[in-house]
Amino acid sequence: MSKDTVLIVGGGPAGLSAAAGVAAAGKKAVLVEKEDRLGGAPILSGYAKLVPSGEWAKDAIGRMVDGVESSSNVTVHKSNKVTKLDGDAGNFTATLSNGETVNAGSVVLATGFTHFDSINKPEWGFGTFPDVITTTQLEQMVGSGKIACPSDGRVPERVAILLCVGSRDRQIGREWCSKVCCTVSANLAMEVREMSPETQVFIYYMDIRTFGLYEDKYYWKSQEEFKVKYVKARIAEVTAASDGRLLVKGEDTLVKRPIVIPFDMVVHAVGMDPNEDNPEISNTFGVGLEKHGYIERAEHYTNTAGTTRKGVYSCGSAYGPESIDDSISQGSAAALRVLADMAG
Amino acid sequence: MAIHEKSLIDVDRLLTHDNLVIDGVDVSGHWNTMITPRTLTDYDDSFEAKIQKIAGAENVHRCWQCGSCTNSCTMYAQNVNFNPRYWIYATRLGLKEEIIKDKDIIWQCVSCNKCTNICPKDVKPEGVMKALSHWLEEEGHTEETHSTTFDYEFWDQIAKRGRIEDSAVLKNFFAKTGQALAQDWLVEMVKRMMKHLPMTHLIHSALHAVFPPKTKSWGKTGDVLKAYVKEQKEAAHG
Repeated sequence: MSKDTVLIVGGGPAGLSAAAGVAAAGKKAVLVEKEDRLGGAPILSGYAKLVPSGEWAKDAIGRMVDGVESSSNVTVHKSNKVTKLDGDAGNFTATLSNGETVNAGSVVLATGFTHFDSINKPEWGFGTFPDVITTTQLEQMVGSGKIACPSDGRVPERVAILLCVGSRDRQIGREWCSKVCCTVSANLAMEVREMSPETQVFIYYMDIRTFGLYEDKYYWKSQEEFKVKYVKARIAEVTAASDGRLLVKGEDTLVKRPIVIPFDMVVHAVGMDPNEDNPEISNTFGVGLEKHGYIERAEHYTNTAGTTRKGVYSCGSAYGPESIDDSISQGSAAALRVLADMAG
Repeated sequence: MAIHEKSLIDVDRLLTHDNLVIDGVDVSGHWNTMITPRTLTDYDDSFEAKIQKIAGAENVHRCWQCGSCTNSCTMYAQNVNFNPRYWIYATRLGLKEEIIKDKDIIWQCVSCNKCTNICPKDVKPEGVMKALSHWLEEEGHTEETHSTTFDYEFWDQIAKRGRIEDSAVLKNFFAKTGQALAQDWLVEMVKRMMKHLPMTHLIHSALHAVFPPKTKSWGKTGDVLKAYVKEQKEAAHG
């Protein structure tokens, strides 16, 4: 019976959590994932150790994937998209790109986000200089076990992490804080210092937003135990020095003087953009997008995990920048809404 | 004046020339003023670690620049150039020149410790001020203070004999610091001694002046201590 089935779109932490929740309650879930594997950004982008558990992404998210894939209550369609959604709450019919149709009583959009593409900030050298990388690439470097400059493989003496790349920037229409990058950067800085003690790490910031319990666990710890240096400066540009190193230019707000400091590697702490497919998702599922381009959240107090369409729910970073842990919690919240609909 | 905003520029960055010829062109007169760039072009990565080895500055790396120290500072209330927050930042990034620039005011810290009591990260800024003063002195950026001269005189006698002879410490300290031995308080003390004549004390003093007191079996202890102090200093200052 279609009413006892939920269609979950997206196999990242939020979608996996929603599927696990529905399955645990003995109901059916159909999980559609556009990529050829489950796990979402932490797996697809090769994250290293997660905040705040410190567990490797492939282990932690891997457990979620195994749980869902081994559940008899969950049907998984990988390398598929939903191309059409007909019907109403309680009786939806979705058409997948492989031509199959799925009948479901409700839909959960766990469609996530897209990493900001640093090419859109050309003045910071990404795409121009091989030693300018993003936090996702640094995650992969940590995962590979060796910190080295991509240009020639040398161990960097000095690494600069630039915060707010693709966040809090009206110039490029990103008027939001991506929420996790400060903490992720502090975490990565500690990883770098641990793996390569001779490497000095400098974090260039406007504000440090290691919210909640991440304050001492990441910000303070990186500074106090790992000697990471925090410099208050918004970088103007990254250029090349004649010796092949990178020059980070800007104004040190606290010294009130211009800086041109040599670095071996520059890391962009890239923000979270709305999923690049959101216009298409909005059309297909008939849900509204809020002004930044994320899925519009319904009135939250009594319509938790709701969207602008009845019977269609959402969770995680589809709503806006979100941490992995909170995405997982929101997936459970969406599952509860879906289960309540099935019961009613 | 060629540059109307001269007051906005750090005095030490202004270079004026009475006669200036550049590439064979005489630009004396209105164009005689040059300004050195204010751009910071590098960090000294080892400086913070060096300062941290000096007692009191161990926690300097914890600073997150909230400015509580400067806000609470007794000296800052007198002189806005006395800015502990700024010197801590300069220490962290290794902006040594910035510290040296303020060598004549850093030592003015009165150790009221309001900064240390208010600091949310337990940086102990008062200790950092003391450490910076020591560093400036040891590196020769500031003259040796009288207190250091006194310490050395005291210590020299200990190393030699294991004990000090008060009158010799005083005499040598005044001589080294170019002060008259006939200090008012000393003259007064001698006057009173003549009046009351504490014989035992005077005899002791006279004996000690001729035969300086020495710890029994002092032997090579002084040399061992000297070697240890030298080793410690080298470890701290490289």
